[in-house]
Amino acid sequence: MISKRIKDNKRRLVELFNHSTDFVTYEFESESNIKMMVCYIEGLIDRNILDRDILRSLTLNVKNLKEIRKYIMTPKIEEIDTINEVVDEVVYGKVVLFAEGLKKGFVIELSKWDKRQVEEPQAESVVRGPKEGFIEDIAVNKVLLRKKLRNNNLVFEDLRLGKQSKTAISLAYVKGIVNLEVLEEVKKRLDKINIDAILESGYIEELIEDSPKSLLPTITNTQKPDIVAAKILEGRVAIFVDGTPHVLIVPRVFVEALMSSEDYYLRPYFSSFLRIVRVIALFITVYAPGIFVALMLYHQEMIPTVLLVSAADAREGVPLPLTVEVLLMIITLEFTKESSLRLPKNIGSTVNIVGALVLGQAAVQAGLVSTLTVILVSLTALAEFIVPQLTQAIIMYRLFATIMGGFFGIYGVICAFFVITLEVISLESFSIPFAWPLAPRNTSGLKDTFIRVHLRKYITRPKALAKQNVKRQIPPKGE
Amino acid sequence: MILRRKKVVIISYILIIAVLTGCFNAKELDELGISLAMGIDHEDGKILITAEVVDPAFSSEASNTGEGSSVRYVQGIGNTILEALKDITLKFDRGIYSAHNKVLIFGEEIAKQGLVSHMDELIRDREQRESSYMLIAKGAKAYEVMGINSGIETIPANYILGLIKNVESNPKTVDFSIMDYLKHYYHEGHHPVAGVIEKIQKNEINETGEKSGTKGYELTVIGSALFKKDKLIGYLNGNDTKALNYLLDNVKGGIITFPATSVLEEVQSQESEQILNSVNVIKVKTKNDVELEGDKVILKSKVYVRAALGELLENTDISKEGNLKRIEDDCSKTVELNIKAAVQKVQKEFGIDIFGFGIVFHRKYPKQWKKIKDYWDEIFADAEYQIEVNTHIIRTGLINRPLEK
Repeated sequence: MISKRIKDNKRRLVELFNHSTDFVTYEFESESNIKMMVCYIEGLIDRNILDRDILRSLTLNVKNLKEIRKYIMTPKIEEIDTINEVVDEVVYGKVVLFAEGLKKGFVIELSKWDKRQVEEPQAESVVRGPKEGFIEDIAVNKVLLRKKLRNNNLVFEDLRLGKQSKTAISLAYVKGIVNLEVLEEVKKRLDKINIDAILESGYIEELIEDSPKSLLPTITNTQKPDIVAAKILEGRVAIFVDGTPHVLIVPRVFVEALMSSEDYYLRPYFSSFLRIVRVIALFITVYAPGIFVALMLYHQEMIPTVLLVSAADAREGVPLPLTVEVLLMIITLEFTKESSLRLPKNIGSTVNIVGALVLGQAAVQAGLVSTLTVILVSLTALAEFIVPQLTQAIIMYRLFATIMGGFFGIYGVICAFFVITLEVISLESFSIPFAWPLAPRNTSGLKDTFIRVHLRKYITRPKALAKQNVKRQIPPKGE
Repeated sequence: MILRRKKVVIISYILIIAVLTGCFNAKELDELGISLAMGIDHEDGKILITAEVVDPAFSSEASNTGEGSSVRYVQGIGNTILEALKDITLKFDRGIYSAHNKVLIFGEEIAKQGLVSHMDELIRDREQRESSYMLIAKGAKAYEVMGINSGIETIPANYILGLIKNVESNPKTVDFSIMDYLKHYYHEGHHPVAGVIEKIQKNEINETGEKSGTKGYELTVIGSALFKKDKLIGYLNGNDTKALNYLLDNVKGGIITFPATSVLEEVQSQESEQILNSVNVIKVKTKNDVELEGDKVILKSKVYVRAALGELLENTDISKEGNLKRIEDDCSKTVELNIKAAVQKVQKEFGIDIFGFGIVFHRKYPKQWKKIKDYWDEIFADAEYQIEVNTHIIRTGLINRPLEK
């Protein structure tokens, strides 16, 4: 309970914060000799407003205890009664005001801290479409989404997770459209989380996903408000996590990996073409090395003679068995990717040069690898970046398919294909089949899968997701 | 605990499977001697196999200097084909990989003795392709024609393959594969035919940068080889082979050259020179038929030729409808005469049915066929032959009248 005496409150708070130096208390007295105290955490609040609109106003005007509230010149004030509540509010960048003789505290919202500018997310850059991306601050992120849906039905539900981190989490959905079962399920799963800290949305993702053992992610993450807006308008739920620009969206279906927000901003024919290109790229990046190894080792009769002869020429004098050679190059590619990601930018170019040498001409000239392998691995690398959302799974699947191809030939590659396909089909994301609308098949869902039809044709929201308010648009009559 | 042990056992099984079965039939490319052509001969009562193996380093490099050869020839000898193939391994460092064989060339000698007994390996072995083309080296051993390359292709087998594929623009040869050969072999009332390959001397042309000695020869695939069952009994020349292709409905192109009859009558007295027109064949459709009249068998063919005018030497205006019609008739007549001559030649000289009339007969008169199938060749040799040709010229080229003299 909050004591009437400022001194007691101060002593207890300082003890609760273990004399931490960033916890600040400041006592002052109004001109009418009413003693007051503010406490806050250094750097989390806007000191200018505190000085100008609160301390000054209170010092000059307050004549009795009842007037205090009147002279706090900010719009958001709450009253609290317990010391523990004080702690909770202070760590979120609020200022708590105590007055001698009052058994309560006033919580004043003054949070302000340095944050990154809203800028284009590097991982999801687009040519056509909004360039803004989420930042690490949840309040800004919510604003970014609100700006897309200026609508009273857009609902944010806040909660805090993590015993130590007390991270702010916010569910966002559109009332009247959201799939209520999914929403309930999300809340239930979030409730079950009992962990020290949520440092990134990846924690939440791992703790609430349906199949933690699967290689495939069953929860989308994005840094772009327009994507979140589009997805929650299909009945999905977004999970904002403070401290990260990555917003989670559930449920997810596999084919979302083939989509890009740009698809809906470009012309439909071209978007459809791009989608098909992505399907091909996905297939190539997973299976090309496996099929290559299988053909070259077991089924030479299937290769056109000219290609076979030049492949044989390229293999001439390469010391390693083909499977090992391809696996080695795949690993080397991962080396290059990983090191250029981790290194400071200013020596990153070194990695580029060295990597190009290892993966390229020099390695061929030294006779370590054959040209075809280099071409193949570069091709898979190129194709991999076309489907960025699945990168993690793709790499593992590629290794799997390559090893199967190297050991068992085409038979092995087909086995790998079955295993991978079975995994995709068997997954679920918040009770929505992961392979929807392919398996189970849904004709209206297929309109937005491998092709992107004209916007006029998207009359309903995805049927597996949207259970209420299913109509998305009313097409003009006579068309 | 038990469950966990079970898991460990299962996982180790999977790992062991991977290690044990892995790669047992894998073949690295640098262990293969890719054979593109194979010659099969009879030599001193034994089988002699000549394989044309690519040297990848020479044949694919763009920086090929032209020195050295893109292929190696290796030979093996044995009592059977398999034995001969295995004999090669004692003389050559890489295993012969025959799945890319483009052509199989049989020497004349072995073809005369009968081929089918040697073909079992070629069909049974999973590496061998029955789609590879089959050629008979006319008047020679197979290995005598194999080394010759006067084409652009660096690999002789590809040069030969190119020659065979040109049947599309000149049907004076046949493009029959091992599979076709066997198909015809097993058909009752149809004797097989195979392609021919022959070494001929080239006219001497003074090239500036003369290179190798083999340039003095080139190969030709003109004509075809006739088999009585599996024994070679003779050859057809180019024109007869063309007729054969017409009757087997195997024409994909080529030309027909024919004398212009009407003009001939007028100018006959002045000039002895024949005026020849030609058409490019676009499509040929042939239907063979057999008619049984009493004891007499009549063989019938109906040929439909769709063509484009290729060369017009007679002075006539084809924009007038009657003239084109007459040219079409001239063309039909020539085709008719050529085919008739070829059929009669085969009837007289060889007395075997290579055109497949027996199959038509079998389908049309199944009951009678059973009685006569053993004498079909004699019946064929004596049968009357009727042919009807229709030509339709659908394109006339860019000019209407020929160039004035």
